[in-house]
Amino acid sequence: MKRFIFLSVLITGGLFFAEIAPAQDLTSLKEAFRNIRSVKAEFSQKRSIQILTKPLFSEGKLFFYTPDSLRWEYLSPLRTVMLQKGNTIQIYNFSDGVWKPEMAQAVESRRMVLAEISHWFQGRFDESKAFNHLYSPGPPERVILVSGEGINRFINRIEIVLSVRPGVIDRVEIEEPGGSRTSIEFKNVEINSSFSSEVFEKP
Amino acid sequence: MIRRKGLDICLLGFLILFAGCGPISKTTLRPGSPDDLPGCYAIFPAEPWESVHRLEATIGGGSFSLLGVTKGEPSERRLQSLLLSPEGFILFDAELSGDGIAVRKAVDPFDSPAFARGLMEDVSLLFLPPQAKPTAWGKETDGTMICAWEGPDESHVEISGSMESGWKILRRNKQGKVIKKAVLRGPFVNGLASRVELQAFKPASYRLRMTLVQPY
Repeated sequence: MKRFIFLSVLITGGLFFAEIAPAQDLTSLKEAFRNIRSVKAEFSQKRSIQILTKPLFSEGKLFFYTPDSLRWEYLSPLRTVMLQKGNTIQIYNFSDGVWKPEMAQAVESRRMVLAEISHWFQGRFDESKAFNHLYSPGPPERVILVSGEGINRFINRIEIVLSVRPGVIDRVEIEEPGGSRTSIEFKNVEINSSFSSEVFEKP
Repeated sequence: MIRRKGLDICLLGFLILFAGCGPISKTTLRPGSPDDLPGCYAIFPAEPWESVHRLEATIGGGSFSLLGVTKGEPSERRLQSLLLSPEGFILFDAELSGDGIAVRKAVDPFDSPAFARGLMEDVSLLFLPPQAKPTAWGKETDGTMICAWEGPDESHVEISGSMESGWKILRRNKQGKVIKKAVLRGPFVNGLASRVELQAFKPASYRLRMTLVQPY
């Protein structure tokens, strides 16, 4: 298994080495994100799992307010919402016509996921504790996150494809050990639009 | 801490078991007509299949929601079952075959052998018929099938119902007490029930509601 991950990292490194840009380009990329205060978007998620002949599709929406307020909500097939405001994280599942809080253990396990997503929307790719980043000027401009020890049980690499609009993410591709993949496409992205802070507090 | 919580859940499970595990009378049946025998297998998919279910589990007062992906090869009595977080991360991946249970991936809190055994037992109860021929079966005048199997460990499995009214599966221990009960409701899509509610009473008490999202 370790050999496989090592090989994957080598392949990943090999594929992108030729177009990896120097660190100052990541600095200019971060500059593009500097003016972003909030993000509101819808997303479509396509999950390809080796044992399934057809992918599994999910739909959702997100709200982000810098630096650490995030609402990541799935509307289908599971209706569930993760809310982060500062250090407070809440997860609710919609069942029997009401929102029910998720068990505490499951909430804690999402903390890192939410922290990573918050980093993405601020262009703070170099601040991840779980991933090493690589920058590709493209086009399209991309940031590749290669998993470190521990997280590589779940994810091999994440590719964040950036829009031509400064500071906007078009698509995120996640590769897992075993060949499963997830693709998240963002649409109707609104930058710096206003919305109530309640979206981060209540399901 | 997690083990302590597990013990608490088990303790609560036992309390619920004694409070909530009401007696469900055992039906006395004789071997029925050979023509009715295929009806005992009507709820179990006969061809290779895949499914995605929305799962809502209630354990000890807490609840969580997951996606369940299952693939079955009935002729080989092989089942593969995955649990996914709502974001799509694989939390549990195991296969049941003639060689037993092989766990490919299991993340806390789904990483105990007891969990793997219990989950694959549930999936097996819902999607694979018992290996032996039913010991008794019958068809009532309204079309309701009733079938009973005895297991090698003196456990019993009973199914009753019809494609129109839905089905009930009971697993009893050797003392005759119901330890698992599943209710399957239509419409049936490619042989799979749209909704399933499974209650386990022993050794741990929990409730699992499954809604079919994608049949294949």
